Amino acid sequence: MTTPAIDLAHLSLKDALDLAILVEDEAKERYEEFAHQMETHRTPEAAQFFRYMIENESKHGRELLARRVERYADTPSTVTRDMLWDVEAPVYDAVRAFMTPRKAMEAAFAAEVKAYEFFDGALASIKDPEVKALFVELRGEELEHQTLVKAEIAKLPPDNPLSDEDFVDPPSAVD
Amino acid sequence: MSPTGTLEFQAKDYKSDLKPIWCPGCGDFAVVQGIYRALAAIGRPPHEIAFVSGIGCSSRIPGYTTAYGFNSVHGRALPIAQGIKMANPDLLVLAAGGDGDGFSIGGGHLPHMVRRNMDIAYIVMDNQIYGLTKGQLSPTSYKGRTSSTSRYGSLEEPVNPLLYMLAYGAGFVAQACPTDLPGMAAIIEAAIRYPGFAFVNIQSPCVTYGEEGQQMKALKAIAEPLDSIGHNSADRLAAMDVAQHYGTKLSLGIFYQNPEPPPTYGDLVKERQEARSKDALPRERILDLFIKK
Amino acid sequence: MSDFSPSHVDRDAAPGRKATRKDLVFGMAGSGGDGIVSAGDSLLQAAAAEGYHGVMTKSFGSQIRGGESSCRVRIATDPILNPGGNLDVAVALNWDDFLKFGAELPVSGNTVVIYEAATNIAPENIPLVGVTPLQVIPVPIAQMAKDTAGTERAKNTVVLGLIAGWFGIGAVAVMKGIRKKLAKKGTELVDANQRAFDAGRAFAIENPLVKNLALIASDNKGDVKLITDGNDMCAAASIFAGCQFFGGYPITPSTEIMQFFTDHVWSYGGSVLQAEDEIAGIGAAVGASFAGKKSMTATSGPGLSLKTEMMGLASIAELPLVIIDVQRGGPSTGLPTKNEQSDLFAACFSAHGDVIRPVLAPTSVADMFRITIEAFNIAEYYQTPVIVLSDQEIAARKETLDPIDVSQFTIIDRQVPSPTELHEYKRFRQTENHISPISHPGMLGGTYLCSGIEHVESGAPTNSGNVHARMNDKRTKKFDPLKQRKDLFEVTGNPNAPIAIIAWGSVAGVCREALEMAHAQGLNVKLMVPYLLYPVAEGAFEDFFASVVNGYVIEQTHLAQYFKLLRMHLDLPKGVRPMARSGANPFLPSEIVASLHVLLSELQRSHEGNLQPQE
Repeated sequence: MTTPAIDLAHLSLKDALDLAILVEDEAKERYEEFAHQMETHRTPEAAQFFRYMIENESKHGRELLARRVERYADTPSTVTRDMLWDVEAPVYDAVRAFMTPRKAMEAAFAAEVKAYEFFDGALASIKDPEVKALFVELRGEELEHQTLVKAEIAKLPPDNPLSDEDFVDPPSAVD
Repeated sequence: MSPTGTLEFQAKDYKSDLKPIWCPGCGDFAVVQGIYRALAAIGRPPHEIAFVSGIGCSSRIPGYTTAYGFNSVHGRALPIAQGIKMANPDLLVLAAGGDGDGFSIGGGHLPHMVRRNMDIAYIVMDNQIYGLTKGQLSPTSYKGRTSSTSRYGSLEEPVNPLLYMLAYGAGFVAQACPTDLPGMAAIIEAAIRYPGFAFVNIQSPCVTYGEEGQQMKALKAIAEPLDSIGHNSADRLAAMDVAQHYGTKLSLGIFYQNPEPPPTYGDLVKERQEARSKDALPRERILDLFIKK
Repeated sequence: MSDFSPSHVDRDAAPGRKATRKDLVFGMAGSGGDGIVSAGDSLLQAAAAEGYHGVMTKSFGSQIRGGESSCRVRIATDPILNPGGNLDVAVALNWDDFLKFGAELPVSGNTVVIYEAATNIAPENIPLVGVTPLQVIPVPIAQMAKDTAGTERAKNTVVLGLIAGWFGIGAVAVMKGIRKKLAKKGTELVDANQRAFDAGRAFAIENPLVKNLALIASDNKGDVKLITDGNDMCAAASIFAGCQFFGGYPITPSTEIMQFFTDHVWSYGGSVLQAEDEIAGIGAAVGASFAGKKSMTATSGPGLSLKTEMMGLASIAELPLVIIDVQRGGPSTGLPTKNEQSDLFAACFSAHGDVIRPVLAPTSVADMFRITIEAFNIAEYYQTPVIVLSDQEIAARKETLDPIDVSQFTIIDRQVPSPTELHEYKRFRQTENHISPISHPGMLGGTYLCSGIEHVESGAPTNSGNVHARMNDKRTKKFDPLKQRKDLFEVTGNPNAPIAIIAWGSVAGVCREALEMAHAQGLNVKLMVPYLLYPVAEGAFEDFFASVVNGYVIEQTHLAQYFKLLRMHLDLPKGVRPMARSGANPFLPSEIVASLHVLLSELQRSHEGNLQPQE
């Protein structure tokens, strides 16, 4: 099974916490990949923003982990990464070489929207009240993140109507 | 489960430390994730996997896995993969490449892969252009396409990879796209599990040379899961009928899968080796074959 | 005629005249339908049964059947060095076809010419220009065949009878062989052949030759002998060396190697793939090597050209691989059924980039066994493709051989990483001898990326100039010990001789015979036969040429390729020059000896009295 389904109806709190941690992990990894890609493709400002997002996701992940450990110590987890596909991680298609910081933030914003929809959409199927409460909380977090990112975007100067693409070298053949 | 034990593997166990040099946004990033997941689901240890490719952006893919990779020469992944499989039939052998690598220079090898039917899965990342060499026409570029080698538009009809493979008689033909990630991973897994030669065409957009109409957003608009049209994957002719819409519709899923897969080439070789070794001369006495009687 | 039971077999061609010859070269030609090659084969088998040494070569036109066809069989009491120069006996079933073979069937003043009477050409009018044979005999071969066997197709059996009668070979053994061959086809066919044979023999006995050319009896009758050709021997040697995979494509004159594999490799747990084209063939072999198995491919010139890219890939990926190139006339499609040595440059230099690729060359069916094993050993040890330059002559000719003691051969396998080395394994690790242990899929801890792109020690791609220089060093310097090996060179004759001949491949055989003749005539000459052609072992050649004043590099290439290859790497003595000619134009030992006399004269003129008599 490449993408085992998440049994929302019978999701325990432990599972839910673990899932939430994995969601953050996935997002963090994705931002790490993106930061590296931006650096390799000489797009430092976007890279900088993605590094900032890594820190965000890590922080949130650490908080959730602390809660999990407090309640369940290190009992083995039963949920796995392959149950998730780009929940809070921005899709690979979201980035481009020479992308502006605005576009990078918009990508993060879209990812937060996706994550919101994931938790929101799951609520109807969840039976356990504690899990429900957790998902409501996580959904709320995503909304907060969206607000934060929107604020960052607002601080930006308008994008130059001339894109970097107009100035950079055309793509080169490497093989 | 692997023959070597009962280890469970996760997707990250198949991911190497080498960071891809693909352009940000390349569809191949998602494809390689799908491959990691499929391999994890199958659970063969990475060192029992041989992953061969040709030349091109997508052919870099073996280096991004922890399998034994072989990034060979343009268009020749399939012959090399066959040699590996024949030498050690117990290995899990995968081949991958782009549409040019597979259907242009490599095109001559396809029907022979099909008719030999070795247990090898072949993944083509189809983006209708030659990326690595800077945007020339590929065999799947649509007619009229402008490119660095067709300023006034291409004069040729494109190859239809799905129709070709179905017509050659392949036992497993499917198409996938990162527009449906779980679906894509599941298809890759099914292809690897299929006992025989399996072909998966993955629409993987090129963000640098692809046109607007070939990017993820546009693909999402023309995507149509085969499940949703009640397609019968045991019916080759029905599959060929759907395959005719390659280029205008993005049909996703298993086009055809032989419900009764015949013995693979490897099965037949094994049989023969067993039969022929019964009364064989020991190797040190092979020159006895030449004794004048 | 009466039946010929063994008691009637008489080695003397005619009562009262003793057999004297130790060596006979037969050349027979006709059209494909005449069964010439069959006849030659029977003769060879019979000779072996009677304890003789024998070599048979064949030559054809380009039609698949019915075109001109010839064979040459040399039979001798002593080991044979080369298929032979001038014919002792020429058999022409028709003159058009015989003449098509030109210099391949050379007639001299010592040749007995037997030809089909039905050609209606008088003995004094046979179309051989510039030569008066020893004796010319028209024989009503076709008629005899028709009368005895009911069909002209039995001509070849009549010819075998004539040979048995005149030359004392195969009186019993030929028919024994034919009987065996046709056993399944019924007694009528066998009896018809017997009658045809008997008629031929009777004719010979009733018409003795002006000179007795019968072969003396061999002392070795009853000894075990092997009979095989170069291609089969190469394939058998490969399996013996542990080759588990053959990938290839049919091409004359190498196809038989693949065929042997399709017959036999399954018995040893190996496999063979007749691929869809030359490139797929070598591609599959590259894959099999990557997977840890000894593997090979075989081809001829045109295929070698196609395989170039894959050979380069194997070189940079440091994968062991054996490539047999059975040379034929080039360039391009060239002369598919004729011998030439002109693939040398391609073998050494094709595939772009700074690559050293070892090239070996056998000189006979006998040493094909040893050289093929050597090729695998070198390929495995140095982790490299190795080309074996066989040629059409060696590949297609059948030789009788004494049994080979296989226990003398060491088989070398590639160096695999030890458990310690698998910890943080680096496939292309720089080592002292530049050879890094090689893993293969299935080996835990040995995973690596194999590729054609330049790479760092781990196999990951790089475009760094520094790394590239170091890797080029690794890939070229690793061959240094190969160049030091003395066992891959054969020097015969006085090591201080001032006159030298150098030859490789099938031409070496001709030169060995020429050397014997030269020594018998008192010439102080030495012969160097290199089995390793590339990389050029400067040391071995410098030693050899130290005493040399003049000599020839003898080869079947129009451009004198080997001469030029040596000159690229060595300062040859001024008097060493090429003796080079296009393929399908064989060298004769006698002409080589004549040329050596020319060198001797030159030497005498410039260095008076400085010669040592032959030791």
